[in-house]
Amino acid sequence: MRYDCVIIGGGLSGLTCGIRLAEKGARCAVISTGMSALHFSSGSIDLFGNEGEGKIVFRPFEYLEKFIGSNPLHPYARCGSSRVREALFYFRDQLDLEDIDLYNNDDANHFHVTTLGTLKPTFFSQRSVFNEKIRLAFEKKSKIAALNFEGYRDFYPELAVINLKRNVLFRNIEISSGKILYPDYGDPQRNPFEYRSIDIARIFDTERYLEDLAAQIRTAAGDAAFAAMPAFLGITNFKRHHQLLQQLTGLLIYEIPTLPPSILGMRIDNALKSRFAALGGVYIAGDTVRGGTIAGGRLESVFTENGGSSALYAGSFVLASGSFFSGGLVSEFSRVREPVFGLRVYSHAERSKWHAQEFFPRNGHPFLEFGVETDERFNPLTDDGQRLGNLYCTGALLPHYNPIREGSGGGVAVSTGYRAAELILAGNR
Amino acid sequence: MKRIETEAIVIGGGATGAGTLRDLSLRGVRAVLIEKSDIASGTTGRNHGLLHSGTRYAVNDLESARECIRENKILKKIARHCIEDTGGLFVTLPEDDPSYHGKLIEHCKYAGIRCEEVSVQEALRIEPNLNPNILAALRVPDGTIDPFRLTSANVLDAQERGATVLTHTGVSGIIREGDRAIGVRCRDRRTGVELEVFGGIIVNASGVWGQEICASAGIALRMFPSKGSMVIIDYRINNVVVNRCRVPSDGDIIVPGDTVSLIGTTSKKVEYDKIDEITVDEDEIATLLESGEKLIPNVSRTRVLRAYCGVRPLIAVSGEMDGREISRGIVLIDHERRDSVGGLITIAGGKLMTYRLMAEMAADLACAKLKVRKKCRTQKTALPGSERKLDQAKSVKFFTGIPNSVVGSTLYRHGQRIRNILHREKRNYGLICECEMVTEGEIEYALKKLNVKDIVDLRRRTRIGMGPCQGQLCAYRAAGLFVKYDSATSAESNKMLVDFLEERWKGIKPVLWGDALREVEFCYWIYQGLFGLGDVRFPEEGEDR
Repeated sequence: MRYDCVIIGGGLSGLTCGIRLAEKGARCAVISTGMSALHFSSGSIDLFGNEGEGKIVFRPFEYLEKFIGSNPLHPYARCGSSRVREALFYFRDQLDLEDIDLYNNDDANHFHVTTLGTLKPTFFSQRSVFNEKIRLAFEKKSKIAALNFEGYRDFYPELAVINLKRNVLFRNIEISSGKILYPDYGDPQRNPFEYRSIDIARIFDTERYLEDLAAQIRTAAGDAAFAAMPAFLGITNFKRHHQLLQQLTGLLIYEIPTLPPSILGMRIDNALKSRFAALGGVYIAGDTVRGGTIAGGRLESVFTENGGSSALYAGSFVLASGSFFSGGLVSEFSRVREPVFGLRVYSHAERSKWHAQEFFPRNGHPFLEFGVETDERFNPLTDDGQRLGNLYCTGALLPHYNPIREGSGGGVAVSTGYRAAELILAGNR
Repeated sequence: MKRIETEAIVIGGGATGAGTLRDLSLRGVRAVLIEKSDIASGTTGRNHGLLHSGTRYAVNDLESARECIRENKILKKIARHCIEDTGGLFVTLPEDDPSYHGKLIEHCKYAGIRCEEVSVQEALRIEPNLNPNILAALRVPDGTIDPFRLTSANVLDAQERGATVLTHTGVSGIIREGDRAIGVRCRDRRTGVELEVFGGIIVNASGVWGQEICASAGIALRMFPSKGSMVIIDYRINNVVVNRCRVPSDGDIIVPGDTVSLIGTTSKKVEYDKIDEITVDEDEIATLLESGEKLIPNVSRTRVLRAYCGVRPLIAVSGEMDGREISRGIVLIDHERRDSVGGLITIAGGKLMTYRLMAEMAADLACAKLKVRKKCRTQKTALPGSERKLDQAKSVKFFTGIPNSVVGSTLYRHGQRIRNILHREKRNYGLICECEMVTEGEIEYALKKLNVKDIVDLRRRTRIGMGPCQGQLCAYRAAGLFVKYDSATSAESNKMLVDFLEERWKGIKPVLWGDALREVEFCYWIYQGLFGLGDVRFPEEGEDR
């Protein structure tokens, strides 16, 4: 098969890149091994949330202006801050076309509440996680009801409430708690005490149980103005059901991320795939790229595990295979390598320096900053020093940034994916 | 200050201390056990879980070998649910001295250990993952023993017979009155509450930490700490214990245990003042993996789960010796005779295998001092859970409707006590730890009956968080259940979640490559990226109470 571009990795970065390319008429294929890391995410898109040492970034673009100058290897520096902005708002518009409304507070970060009730600065959140009405209710110090499904093992609001109450922002805000019973939806084989987020989301993807649920929420919430609940509002009909439930209860309904799988993240994953397909992109799931043919500083084709001898040819390639967790990087007893093409990797020679001493260190773990070295055009080098001019590396595979410490994972995935698409399109013109 | 009066005080909640507490309780002596951390959290919980046949000691230490095989037979009767009667092999590799094989057979005869020669073919049939290049093999009655379950069962039995157990309570000093030790001063390390416990006899069963206990009573006792490190392989790659047939050395045993296998051990001298800070060294990992691979080649292709180390509680008899050469024999000290301090005895040395015998010796002496004329019953009285032979088919039938895997795991861990744990209510058998099949009911039981104060303790009672994922999902769920069952406040639960993940991290750090690193990235992503647990601020003790 021949494509204009083959993208290795179907996560946030790969799909953003694929959507941009497909939209401009390029014939694209995305090859994805397994589940996107979005399934384990908060479902909000972080841009840049922390300076380090616990200092919060309130206006990320302003902050990036000066940050980029002193961190020239950071993926944002390689994109340029205006391109980061362009990429993020492009991303928002694409999701909008798929019926996901992302809230953003102009150029400023807002906070989303985590599973444990800490606040994380983020740039985009789904409207069931944050919106203007929630912000207003919050400013008026309206009462919150933290509700949970009886016996749900993957969310414990009481562990979050104690941390919220300690936060100055929540001082003088009353938080009550309450329980909701699952509807008897008729699968006697399943143990409701073993439901995961996805099981609950499936129940409420149909309209059937919403009225009963609304009645329960009203009772459990008492005189509260909003009900905070574990993310449960379905994968496909969540927008309509959110509105419906708010009408039926007269309350603001607010979703909090739970233990994975992340309902909020899965919605984004679904939307991106759907958008990519609508633009004519080819999504190959459950296959893994094993290697490629390189000639004259160019990657000519790649072959996959299931493809046998039939290689995939393309003018350009994007490697968006993620970090260790997703298999984009592989670590061995004493080295880190990139498994598909053997690209040059940034890491430490001594394994004892891959990690911090504590599990929760102040400045994060160094291994999160390892990745494939690239030039400013995101082109990597092979192990023997050959630059591959038509291969672009994006997302969590990249080094020199710390997604968790900085709160920048989503933003880097989106903006580098978008940037790779722009570079490919410019090259073809 | 809180004050407790009792007949006997046992310091140390390892196997020996727990065994002594049980032995005393069976003789009708009222006793209090004081443990600075959790039961089985020191040396007891930091070995490879081998139910020794004694073969390993037969050549160098005949006395220990005889003790081992005697206790081996007793434990197989009284602690069935803590034991797997796997059998063991001693295999000779091409590079090993072939004469050791014959020597071992001969010495096993002296020690009374059944040791039979099997053909290489037969050895490979018994353990298919074995290195096919071995030259010779012996079959011995080795098995595996779970030190956490064993200690917990001893404590449970003692408590059901009226004993008191104070965990997370550190002894700050022995209270003396003239030439007698009459009690101990201690502090609850979680609440900060100080208390004094008075009794007619104090049994110091605190292992390597016994040096400090004695020092606080003005008695000089010198421990000779030796570190042993082990590596856990994330699959059960062998079903029988595999030993290397050579003079004892590093990395010469692979022990299956529950769902994993362990490669043991190394031996390194450590300074006494460093015993609470020991870590596994990089070279130990390399040695263990290299030697392990020689016994079972699969080791090199299997994920390493974690590494850990313990301190052997050897008492230095004289001079400087290597940790391996010193006798592992039992040392019972009557401080009245040795140091003219009445009311205090120390039981030390020995090994997990001989804990019951050590407890018997200590309790005999304690009873003599207390003038209690009751005989030891521990060699005949089964531990709670081990009263009858375990019959999985019968249990599965009894609990029809509950998944077989849940029944099997619960029975495996708690023996007959399964009847106190499982019932046919969906909440009860809903899974919390999916790697190790730990249910909400099992957690509820552990919280209420097994002296569990935090998630790390819970792990020792149930195996929660000990599987491949090392607690990724179940740690948070467990934290939630502590609040649900009123075992902790929300603030304490948050804190114990951090402590649990930090404790898991200690054992993962030394083996942070391959899938272990992937798993850590995921776990860190959840607990920091998603939960922001590292950002939770913990106020001073007691603020939220």
